Amino acid sequence: MEHATPPAAAAGGVTATVDLSPAATDLGGAHHLPCGIKQNGGAPVSDYFKPRSTGVEVEGVRVEEAFFRGRKLQGATLALPDGYRGYVLEKKSGGKDKQNSDGEVSNFVARAEFQNITYWNHDTTPSAEDSLPRCFHWLTVANAMHKPVTSEELANMSAMQNQDN
Amino acid sequence: MAEATAAAPPEWATKEPCLMGIDEAGRGPVLGPMVYGCMYCARSYNNTLATLKFADSKTLKEEQREELFESLKVNSSIGWEVDVICPKDLSAKMLKKSKVNLNEISHNSAMGLVRKVLDMGILLAEVYIDTVGDPEKYRIKLTEKFPGIKFVVAKKADSLYPVVSGASIVAKVTRDRALRNWVFDETALNMHMKTGSGYPGDPDTKQWLEDHKHPVFGFPTLVRFSWGTCTPFFKDAVEVTWETDEIDEDATNNGSAKRQVKLSSLGFTGFKRKTEEIESSGKGRCKFFQARKLELVRKFQ
Repeated sequence: MEHATPPAAAAGGVTATVDLSPAATDLGGAHHLPCGIKQNGGAPVSDYFKPRSTGVEVEGVRVEEAFFRGRKLQGATLALPDGYRGYVLEKKSGGKDKQNSDGEVSNFVARAEFQNITYWNHDTTPSAEDSLPRCFHWLTVANAMHKPVTSEELANMSAMQNQDN
Repeated sequence: MAEATAAAPPEWATKEPCLMGIDEAGRGPVLGPMVYGCMYCARSYNNTLATLKFADSKTLKEEQREELFESLKVNSSIGWEVDVICPKDLSAKMLKKSKVNLNEISHNSAMGLVRKVLDMGILLAEVYIDTVGDPEKYRIKLTEKFPGIKFVVAKKADSLYPVVSGASIVAKVTRDRALRNWVFDETALNMHMKTGSGYPGDPDTKQWLEDHKHPVFGFPTLVRFSWGTCTPFFKDAVEVTWETDEIDEDATNNGSAKRQVKLSSLGFTGFKRKTEEIESSGKGRCKFFQARKLELVRKFQ
Protein backbone atom coordinates (compact mmCIF):
# COMPACT_ATOMS: atom_id res chain seq x y z
CA MET A 1 0.00 0.00 0.00
CA GLU A 2 2.86 2.31 0.63
CA HIS A 3 4.83 3.99 -2.06
CA ALA A 4 7.34 1.58 -3.33
CA THR A 5 10.59 3.15 -2.24
CA PRO A 6 12.07 1.01 0.51
CA PRO A 7 12.68 3.08 3.65
CA ALA A 8 16.30 2.03 3.84
CA ALA A 9 17.03 3.06 0.28
CA ALA A 10 18.87 6.21 1.18
CA ALA A 11 21.02 4.64 3.86
CA GLY A 12 21.79 1.19 2.58
CA GLY A 13 21.29 1.39 -1.16
CA VAL A 14 18.49 -0.18 -3.11
CA THR A 15 17.27 -3.45 -1.63
CA ALA A 16 14.32 -4.13 -3.91
CA THR A 17 12.77 -2.98 -7.12
CA VAL A 18 9.05 -2.88 -7.75
CA ASP A 19 7.68 -2.75 -11.26
CA LEU A 20 4.16 -1.33 -11.10
CA SER A 21 3.65 -0.96 -14.85
CA PRO A 22 2.06 -4.32 -15.69
CA ALA A 23 -0.78 -4.20 -13.09
CA ALA A 24 -3.31 -5.98 -15.28
CA THR A 25 -6.17 -7.10 -13.04
CA ASP A 26 -8.20 -4.55 -11.17
CA LEU A 27 -9.48 -6.43 -8.14
CA GLY A 28 -11.47 -3.48 -6.87
CA GLY A 29 -11.06 -4.69 -3.31
CA ALA A 30 -8.73 -6.91 -1.34
CA HIS A 31 -9.43 -8.91 1.83
CA HIS A 32 -7.27 -8.86 4.94
CA LEU A 33 -7.96 -11.94 7.08
CA PRO A 34 -7.12 -12.42 10.78
CA CYS A 35 -5.16 -15.57 9.99
CA GLY A 36 -2.13 -16.78 8.15
CA ILE A 37 -2.79 -18.96 5.12
CA LYS A 38 0.35 -20.85 4.30
CA GLN A 39 0.01 -20.71 0.59
CA ASN A 40 1.40 -18.38 -2.01
CA GLY A 41 -0.75 -18.20 -5.07
CA GLY A 42 -4.22 -17.89 -6.44
CA ALA A 43 -7.45 -19.22 -4.93
CA PRO A 44 -11.09 -19.08 -6.12
CA VAL A 45 -11.96 -16.44 -3.52
CA SER A 46 -15.18 -15.24 -5.10
CA ASP A 47 -16.54 -18.80 -5.34
CA TYR A 48 -16.02 -19.63 -1.67
CA PHE A 49 -15.68 -16.39 0.27
CA LYS A 50 -19.08 -14.69 0.25
CA PRO A 51 -19.22 -11.52 2.32
CA ARG A 52 -22.64 -10.12 3.01
CA SER A 53 -23.81 -6.94 4.61
CA THR A 54 -25.29 -7.38 8.09
CA GLY A 55 -27.22 -4.13 8.02
CA VAL A 56 -25.54 -3.31 11.33
CA GLU A 57 -23.65 -0.07 11.62
CA VAL A 58 -21.29 0.57 14.53
CA GLU A 59 -19.88 4.09 14.94
CA GLY A 60 -20.49 4.74 11.27
CA VAL A 61 -18.72 1.50 10.26
CA ARG A 62 -20.86 -0.81 8.12
CA VAL A 63 -20.35 -4.33 9.41
CA GLU A 64 -20.04 -7.18 6.92
CA GLU A 65 -20.07 -10.89 7.65
CA ALA A 66 -18.30 -13.83 6.04
CA PHE A 67 -17.17 -17.33 6.93
CA PHE A 68 -13.77 -18.87 6.44
CA ARG A 69 -12.81 -22.38 7.54
CA GLY A 70 -15.89 -22.56 9.71
CA ARG A 71 -15.20 -19.33 11.57
CA LYS A 72 -17.41 -16.32 11.49
CA LEU A 73 -15.65 -13.14 10.49
CA GLN A 74 -16.91 -9.59 10.85
CA GLY A 75 -15.38 -7.00 8.60
CA ALA A 76 -15.40 -3.44 7.35
CA THR A 77 -14.40 -2.00 4.01
CA LEU A 78 -12.03 0.95 3.88
CA ALA A 79 -11.37 2.95 0.74
CA LEU A 80 -7.73 3.78 0.21
CA PRO A 81 -7.19 7.52 0.61
CA ASP A 82 -6.95 9.75 -2.45
CA GLY A 83 -3.59 9.50 -4.10
CA TYR A 84 -2.90 5.96 -2.90
CA ARG A 85 -3.35 2.63 -4.63
CA GLY A 86 -3.00 -0.92 -3.42
CA TYR A 87 -0.97 -3.48 -5.32
CA VAL A 88 -0.61 -7.22 -5.20
CA LEU A 89 3.06 -7.88 -5.81
CA GLU A 90 4.70 -11.02 -7.01
CA LYS A 91 8.37 -11.75 -6.68
CA LYS A 92 9.99 -12.23 -10.04
CA SER A 93 11.50 -15.65 -10.38
CA GLY A 94 15.28 -15.49 -10.35
CA GLY A 95 14.70 -12.16 -8.71
CA LYS A 96 18.33 -11.43 -7.92
CA ASP A 97 19.62 -8.50 -9.91
CA LYS A 98 22.62 -9.86 -11.76
CA GLN A 99 24.10 -6.42 -12.26
CA ASN A 100 24.37 -5.93 -8.54
CA SER A 101 27.42 -7.68 -7.20
CA ASP A 102 25.85 -8.04 -3.73
CA GLY A 103 23.07 -10.12 -5.25
CA GLU A 104 20.79 -8.50 -2.65
CA VAL A 105 18.14 -7.01 -4.87
CA SER A 106 14.70 -8.57 -5.11
CA ASN A 107 12.44 -7.66 -7.95
CA PHE A 108 8.70 -7.47 -7.58
CA VAL A 109 6.07 -7.13 -10.26
CA ALA A 110 2.55 -5.81 -9.73
CA ARG A 111 0.01 -8.49 -10.56
CA ALA A 112 -3.16 -6.66 -9.59
CA GLU A 113 -4.32 -3.47 -7.99
CA PHE A 114 -7.11 -2.51 -5.63
CA GLN A 115 -8.77 0.66 -4.34
CA ASN A 116 -10.31 -0.62 -1.14
CA ILE A 117 -9.51 -3.13 1.53
CA THR A 118 -11.89 -5.17 3.67
CA TYR A 119 -10.33 -6.22 6.93
CA TRP A 120 -11.88 -9.05 8.91
CA ASN A 121 -11.93 -9.73 12.64
CA HIS A 122 -12.65 -13.11 14.14
CA ASP A 123 -15.47 -12.71 16.67
CA THR A 124 -15.07 -8.99 17.30
CA THR A 125 -17.08 -6.28 15.65
CA PRO A 126 -14.93 -3.94 13.58
CA SER A 127 -14.40 -0.50 15.06
CA ALA A 128 -12.37 2.63 14.46
CA GLU A 129 -10.07 1.39 17.25
CA ASP A 130 -8.84 -1.59 15.20
CA SER A 131 -5.20 -1.35 14.20
CA LEU A 132 -5.80 -1.51 10.46
CA PRO A 133 -8.00 1.60 10.07
CA ARG A 134 -5.68 3.38 12.49
CA CYS A 135 -2.74 2.62 10.18
CA PHE A 136 -4.13 5.18 7.78
CA HIS A 137 -3.35 7.88 10.35
CA TRP A 138 0.27 7.37 9.44
CA LEU A 139 -0.38 8.67 5.95
CA THR A 140 -1.58 11.98 7.38
CA VAL A 141 1.32 12.18 9.81
CA ALA A 142 3.87 11.26 7.16
CA ASN A 143 2.41 13.79 4.80
CA ALA A 144 2.63 16.57 7.38
CA MET A 145 6.20 15.64 8.20
CA HIS A 146 7.51 15.34 4.68
CA LYS A 147 5.57 17.98 2.80
CA PRO A 148 7.90 20.78 1.72
CA VAL A 149 7.24 24.01 3.58
CA THR A 150 6.39 26.89 1.26
CA SER A 151 8.00 30.28 1.69
CA GLU A 152 4.55 31.65 2.48
CA GLU A 153 4.10 29.20 5.38
CA LEU A 154 7.56 30.09 6.65
CA ALA A 155 6.67 33.77 6.57
CA ASN A 156 3.41 33.10 8.42
CA MET A 157 5.19 31.07 11.04
CA SER A 158 7.84 33.69 11.75
CA ALA A 159 5.10 36.30 11.90
CA MET A 160 3.29 34.20 14.53
CA GLN A 161 6.46 33.71 16.52
CA ASN A 162 7.05 37.44 16.51
CA GLN A 163 3.54 37.98 17.85
CA ASP A 164 4.12 35.47 20.65
CA ASN A 165 7.28 37.25 21.65
CA MET B 1 -33.76 -18.04 15.31
CA ALA B 2 -37.05 -19.95 15.63
CA GLU B 3 -39.06 -19.67 12.46
CA ALA B 4 -42.57 -18.36 12.59
CA THR B 5 -45.12 -20.97 11.67
CA ALA B 6 -48.30 -19.47 13.08
CA ALA B 7 -49.20 -15.83 13.39
CA ALA B 8 -51.57 -16.19 16.34
CA PRO B 9 -51.78 -18.99 18.91
CA PRO B 10 -54.77 -21.30 18.79
CA GLU B 11 -57.50 -20.19 21.18
CA TRP B 12 -57.48 -23.39 23.29
CA ALA B 13 -53.77 -22.93 23.95
CA THR B 14 -54.31 -19.67 25.79
CA LYS B 15 -57.17 -21.01 27.93
CA GLU B 16 -56.27 -24.56 28.81
CA PRO B 17 -53.02 -25.83 30.36
CA CYS B 18 -50.85 -27.34 27.63
CA LEU B 19 -48.27 -30.10 27.25
CA MET B 20 -45.29 -29.66 24.99
CA GLY B 21 -42.68 -32.04 23.64
CA ILE B 22 -39.26 -30.95 22.37
CA ASP B 23 -36.91 -33.02 20.22
CA GLU B 24 -33.99 -32.57 17.89
CA ALA B 25 -32.87 -33.87 14.51
CA GLY B 26 -29.38 -33.79 13.02
CA ARG B 27 -27.29 -33.39 16.13
CA GLY B 28 -24.62 -35.88 15.11
CA PRO B 29 -24.06 -35.54 11.33
CA VAL B 30 -21.08 -33.64 9.96
CA LEU B 31 -23.26 -31.59 7.62
CA GLY B 32 -26.52 -29.71 7.37
CA PRO B 33 -28.55 -27.88 9.99
CA MET B 34 -29.45 -29.08 13.47
CA VAL B 35 -33.18 -28.66 13.98
CA TYR B 36 -35.06 -28.38 17.24
CA GLY B 37 -38.78 -28.90 17.00
CA CYS B 38 -41.59 -28.66 19.50
CA MET B 39 -45.19 -29.72 19.45
CA TYR B 40 -47.88 -28.76 21.95
CA CYS B 41 -51.51 -29.56 22.65
CA ALA B 42 -54.05 -29.08 25.42
CA ARG B 43 -53.60 -31.48 28.31
CA SER B 44 -57.06 -32.86 27.60
CA TYR B 45 -56.02 -33.77 24.05
CA ASN B 46 -53.09 -35.96 25.12
CA ASN B 47 -55.08 -39.21 25.10
CA THR B 48 -56.30 -38.58 21.58
CA LEU B 49 -52.75 -37.71 20.55
CA ALA B 50 -51.58 -41.13 21.71
CA THR B 51 -53.83 -42.72 19.08
CA LEU B 52 -52.31 -40.74 16.18
CA LYS B 53 -49.30 -43.06 15.72
CA PHE B 54 -46.64 -40.40 16.20
CA ALA B 55 -43.93 -42.93 16.85
CA ASP B 56 -40.30 -41.90 17.28
CA SER B 57 -39.35 -40.43 13.90
CA LYS B 58 -36.29 -42.67 13.61
CA THR B 59 -38.45 -45.78 13.42
CA LEU B 60 -40.54 -44.35 10.56
CA LYS B 61 -39.83 -44.20 6.86
CA GLU B 62 -39.34 -40.81 5.24
CA GLU B 63 -42.72 -40.92 3.44
CA GLN B 64 -44.52 -41.82 6.68
CA ARG B 65 -42.87 -38.91 8.46
CA GLU B 66 -43.81 -36.52 5.66
CA GLU B 67 -47.40 -37.75 5.82
CA LEU B 68 -47.58 -37.42 9.61
CA PHE B 69 -46.07 -33.95 9.44
CA GLU B 70 -48.70 -32.86 6.92
CA SER B 71 -51.44 -34.32 9.11
CA LEU B 72 -50.26 -32.57 12.26
CA LYS B 73 -49.97 -29.27 10.36
CA VAL B 74 -53.68 -29.38 9.55
CA ASN B 75 -54.69 -30.65 12.98
CA SER B 76 -56.19 -27.62 14.74
CA SER B 77 -55.67 -29.20 18.16
CA ILE B 78 -51.89 -29.21 17.72
CA GLY B 79 -49.37 -26.38 17.59
CA TRP B 80 -45.69 -26.60 16.64
CA GLU B 81 -42.53 -24.55 16.14
CA VAL B 82 -39.01 -25.19 14.87
CA ASP B 83 -35.57 -23.69 15.39
CA VAL B 84 -33.18 -24.34 12.51
CA ILE B 85 -29.53 -23.86 13.42
CA CYS B 86 -27.59 -23.74 10.17
CA PRO B 87 -24.23 -25.52 9.92
CA LYS B 88 -22.23 -22.33 9.61
CA ASP B 89 -23.68 -21.06 12.89
CA LEU B 90 -22.83 -24.39 14.54
CA SER B 91 -19.24 -24.22 13.24
CA ALA B 92 -18.90 -20.55 14.14
CA LYS B 93 -20.15 -21.02 17.71
CA MET B 94 -17.96 -24.04 18.34
CA LEU B 95 -14.89 -22.28 16.86
CA LYS B 96 -15.40 -18.98 18.64
CA LYS B 97 -12.73 -17.53 20.88
CA SER B 98 -14.92 -18.51 23.81
CA LYS B 99 -16.18 -21.79 22.44
CA VAL B 100 -19.78 -22.84 22.88
CA ASN B 101 -20.15 -26.61 22.95
CA LEU B 102 -22.89 -28.55 21.22
CA ASN B 103 -24.74 -29.35 24.46
CA GLU B 104 -24.98 -25.67 25.27
CA ILE B 105 -26.17 -24.85 21.75
CA SER B 106 -28.80 -27.61 22.12
CA HIS B 107 -29.95 -26.36 25.52
CA ASN B 108 -30.21 -22.81 24.24
CA SER B 109 -32.22 -23.89 21.24
CA ALA B 110 -34.69 -25.88 23.39
CA MET B 111 -35.01 -22.99 25.84
CA GLY B 112 -35.51 -20.62 22.92
CA LEU B 113 -38.49 -22.69 21.81
CA VAL B 114 -40.00 -22.66 25.31
CA ARG B 115 -39.50 -18.89 25.48
CA LYS B 116 -41.07 -18.42 22.07
CA VAL B 117 -44.14 -20.49 22.88
CA LEU B 118 -44.58 -18.70 26.23
CA ASP B 119 -44.26 -15.32 24.49
CA MET B 120 -47.07 -16.35 22.16
CA GLY B 121 -49.27 -16.56 25.23
CA ILE B 122 -49.57 -20.32 25.38
CA LEU B 123 -50.33 -21.78 28.81
CA LEU B 124 -47.45 -24.21 29.16
CA ALA B 125 -47.86 -26.53 32.13
CA GLU B 126 -45.60 -29.47 31.29
CA VAL B 127 -42.66 -29.87 28.92
CA TYR B 128 -41.24 -33.25 27.90
CA ILE B 129 -37.79 -33.36 26.42
CA ASP B 130 -35.12 -35.83 25.38
CA THR B 131 -32.02 -35.33 27.46
CA VAL B 132 -28.78 -33.75 26.35
CA GLY B 133 -26.06 -34.44 28.87
CA ASP B 134 -27.09 -35.32 32.42
CA PRO B 135 -30.92 -35.46 32.68
CA GLU B 136 -31.16 -34.17 36.26
CA LYS B 137 -28.78 -31.23 35.68
CA TYR B 138 -30.66 -30.36 32.52
CA ARG B 139 -33.99 -30.52 34.37
CA ILE B 140 -32.70 -28.16 37.06
CA LYS B 141 -31.36 -25.75 34.43
CA LEU B 142 -34.73 -25.68 32.66
CA THR B 143 -36.70 -25.34 35.88
CA GLU B 144 -34.56 -22.43 37.06
CA LYS B 145 -35.04 -20.69 33.73
CA PHE B 146 -38.78 -21.31 33.59
CA PRO B 147 -40.18 -21.67 37.10
CA GLY B 148 -43.79 -22.78 37.10
CA ILE B 149 -43.39 -25.26 34.27
CA LYS B 150 -42.98 -28.94 35.06
CA PHE B 151 -40.09 -30.37 33.05
CA VAL B 152 -39.71 -34.07 32.38
CA VAL B 153 -36.24 -34.80 31.00
CA ALA B 154 -35.71 -38.39 29.92
CA LYS B 155 -33.58 -40.57 27.72
CA LYS B 156 -35.55 -41.76 24.70
CA ALA B 157 -38.35 -39.34 25.52
CA ASP B 158 -39.30 -39.51 21.84
CA SER B 159 -40.45 -43.11 22.22
CA LEU B 160 -42.04 -42.58 25.65
CA TYR B 161 -44.24 -39.52 25.15
CA PRO B 162 -46.44 -39.00 22.06
CA VAL B 163 -45.95 -35.24 22.32
CA VAL B 164 -42.17 -35.74 21.99
CA SER B 165 -42.65 -38.22 19.11
CA GLY B 166 -44.60 -35.48 17.37
CA ALA B 167 -41.84 -32.95 18.02
CA SER B 168 -39.34 -35.45 16.67
CA ILE B 169 -41.29 -35.69 13.41
CA VAL B 170 -41.48 -31.90 13.13
CA ALA B 171 -37.70 -31.65 13.62
CA LYS B 172 -36.74 -34.53 11.36
CA VAL B 173 -38.98 -33.53 8.45
CA THR B 174 -37.77 -29.92 8.69
CA ARG B 175 -34.14 -31.04 8.55
CA ASP B 176 -34.73 -33.45 5.65
CA ARG B 177 -36.47 -30.71 3.68
CA ALA B 178 -33.70 -28.21 4.46
CA LEU B 179 -31.17 -30.65 3.02
CA ARG B 180 -33.32 -31.49 0.00
CA ASN B 181 -33.74 -27.81 -0.82
CA TRP B 182 -30.21 -26.79 0.14
CA VAL B 183 -28.82 -23.91 -1.89
CA PHE B 184 -25.05 -23.68 -1.64
CA ASP B 185 -23.57 -20.32 -0.69
CA GLU B 186 -20.60 -21.31 -2.78
CA THR B 187 -20.52 -21.02 -6.53
CA ALA B 188 -17.82 -23.63 -7.13
CA LEU B 189 -18.50 -26.09 -9.92
CA ASN B 190 -19.63 -29.73 -9.64
CA MET B 191 -21.14 -29.56 -6.17
CA HIS B 192 -23.89 -32.09 -5.47
CA MET B 193 -26.15 -33.20 -2.62
CA LYS B 194 -25.48 -36.95 -2.48
CA THR B 195 -24.40 -36.45 1.10
CA GLY B 196 -25.50 -39.73 2.61
CA SER B 197 -26.45 -39.69 6.29
CA GLY B 198 -23.69 -37.32 7.35
CA TYR B 199 -22.13 -39.92 9.64
CA PRO B 200 -18.48 -40.89 9.16
CA GLY B 201 -19.26 -44.58 8.60
CA ASP B 202 -21.40 -43.79 5.56
CA PRO B 203 -19.45 -44.28 2.29
CA ASP B 204 -21.66 -41.68 0.54
CA THR B 205 -20.76 -39.11 3.20
CA LYS B 206 -17.06 -39.92 2.86
CA GLN B 207 -17.28 -39.58 -0.90
CA TRP B 208 -19.19 -36.32 -0.61
CA LEU B 209 -16.53 -34.86 1.71
CA GLU B 210 -13.83 -36.05 -0.67
CA ASP B 211 -15.64 -34.43 -3.63
CA HIS B 212 -16.14 -31.10 -1.87
CA LYS B 213 -12.91 -30.49 0.00
CA HIS B 214 -10.80 -27.54 -1.04
CA PRO B 215 -7.15 -27.02 -0.05
CA VAL B 216 -7.68 -23.36 0.93
CA PHE B 217 -11.33 -23.02 1.92
CA GLY B 218 -11.82 -26.44 3.48
CA PHE B 219 -15.44 -27.21 2.60
CA PRO B 220 -18.64 -25.47 1.59
CA THR B 221 -20.51 -23.99 4.57
CA LEU B 222 -22.92 -26.97 4.49
CA VAL B 223 -20.23 -28.74 6.51
CA ARG B 224 -19.72 -28.39 10.26
CA PHE B 225 -16.04 -27.58 10.36
CA SER B 226 -15.87 -28.22 14.09
CA TRP B 227 -16.67 -31.92 13.66
CA GLY B 228 -13.95 -34.53 14.11
CA THR B 229 -15.17 -36.17 10.89
CA CYS B 230 -13.55 -33.25 9.00
CA THR B 231 -10.12 -33.64 10.57
CA PRO B 232 -8.68 -36.32 8.24
CA PHE B 233 -9.70 -34.19 5.24
CA PHE B 234 -7.67 -31.23 6.51
CA LYS B 235 -4.45 -33.26 6.55
CA ASP B 236 -3.39 -32.23 3.08
CA ALA B 237 -5.08 -28.85 3.18
CA VAL B 238 -3.20 -25.57 3.34
CA GLU B 239 -2.30 -24.74 6.94
CA VAL B 240 -4.21 -21.83 8.44
CA THR B 241 -3.20 -20.23 11.76
CA TRP B 242 -5.46 -17.78 13.53
CA GLU B 243 -4.46 -14.65 15.39
CA THR B 244 -7.19 -15.36 17.95
CA ASP B 245 -5.78 -18.84 18.69
CA GLU B 246 -2.46 -17.13 19.23
CA ILE B 247 -3.89 -14.97 22.02
CA ASP B 248 -5.33 -18.04 23.72
CA GLU B 249 -2.00 -19.80 23.62
CA ASP B 250 -0.14 -16.78 24.91
CA ALA B 251 -2.50 -16.57 27.84
CA THR B 252 -2.14 -20.22 28.79
CA ASN B 253 1.52 -20.82 27.98
CA ASN B 254 2.82 -17.42 28.97
CA GLY B 255 3.98 -16.76 25.46
CA SER B 256 6.38 -19.67 25.32
CA ALA B 257 4.87 -21.30 22.28
CA LYS B 258 3.97 -19.16 19.32
CA ARG B 259 2.70 -20.58 16.11
CA GLN B 260 1.75 -17.41 14.30
CA VAL B 261 2.79 -17.26 10.70
CA LYS B 262 5.93 -15.22 10.58
CA LEU B 263 5.88 -12.21 8.36
CA SER B 264 9.34 -13.24 7.22
CA SER B 265 7.89 -16.37 5.69
CA LEU B 266 5.71 -14.14 3.55
CA GLY B 267 8.71 -12.33 2.14
CA PHE B 268 9.13 -9.40 4.50
CA THR B 269 11.78 -8.95 7.12
CA GLY B 270 11.63 -6.33 9.78
CA PHE B 271 14.40 -4.60 11.58
CA LYS B 272 16.30 -6.49 14.30
CA ARG B 273 13.65 -9.15 14.56
CA LYS B 274 14.51 -12.15 16.63
CA THR B 275 12.89 -15.15 15.02
CA GLU B 276 10.59 -15.81 17.98
CA GLU B 277 9.71 -12.18 18.55
CA ILE B 278 6.68 -11.93 16.35
CA GLU B 279 3.97 -10.97 18.75
CA SER B 280 3.81 -7.25 18.12
CA SER B 281 4.93 -6.14 14.73
CA GLY B 282 5.42 -2.59 15.99
CA LYS B 283 7.89 -3.76 18.62
CA GLY B 284 10.76 -1.45 19.45
CA ARG B 285 9.05 1.52 17.83
CA CYS B 286 7.23 4.37 19.48
CA LYS B 287 3.67 3.88 20.76
CA PHE B 288 2.09 5.38 17.68
CA PHE B 289 3.43 2.52 15.56
CA GLN B 290 2.95 -0.18 18.20
CA ALA B 291 -0.74 0.62 18.54
CA ARG B 292 -1.12 0.30 14.80
CA LYS B 293 1.11 -2.76 14.48
CA LEU B 294 3.13 -0.84 11.94
CA GLU B 295 6.52 -2.30 11.39
CA LEU B 296 9.45 -0.74 9.63
CA VAL B 297 10.34 -2.96 6.71
CA ARG B 298 14.02 -2.67 5.92
CA LYS B 299 14.30 -5.39 3.43
CA PHE B 300 12.02 -6.82 0.81
CA GLN B 301 13.08 -10.29 -0.11
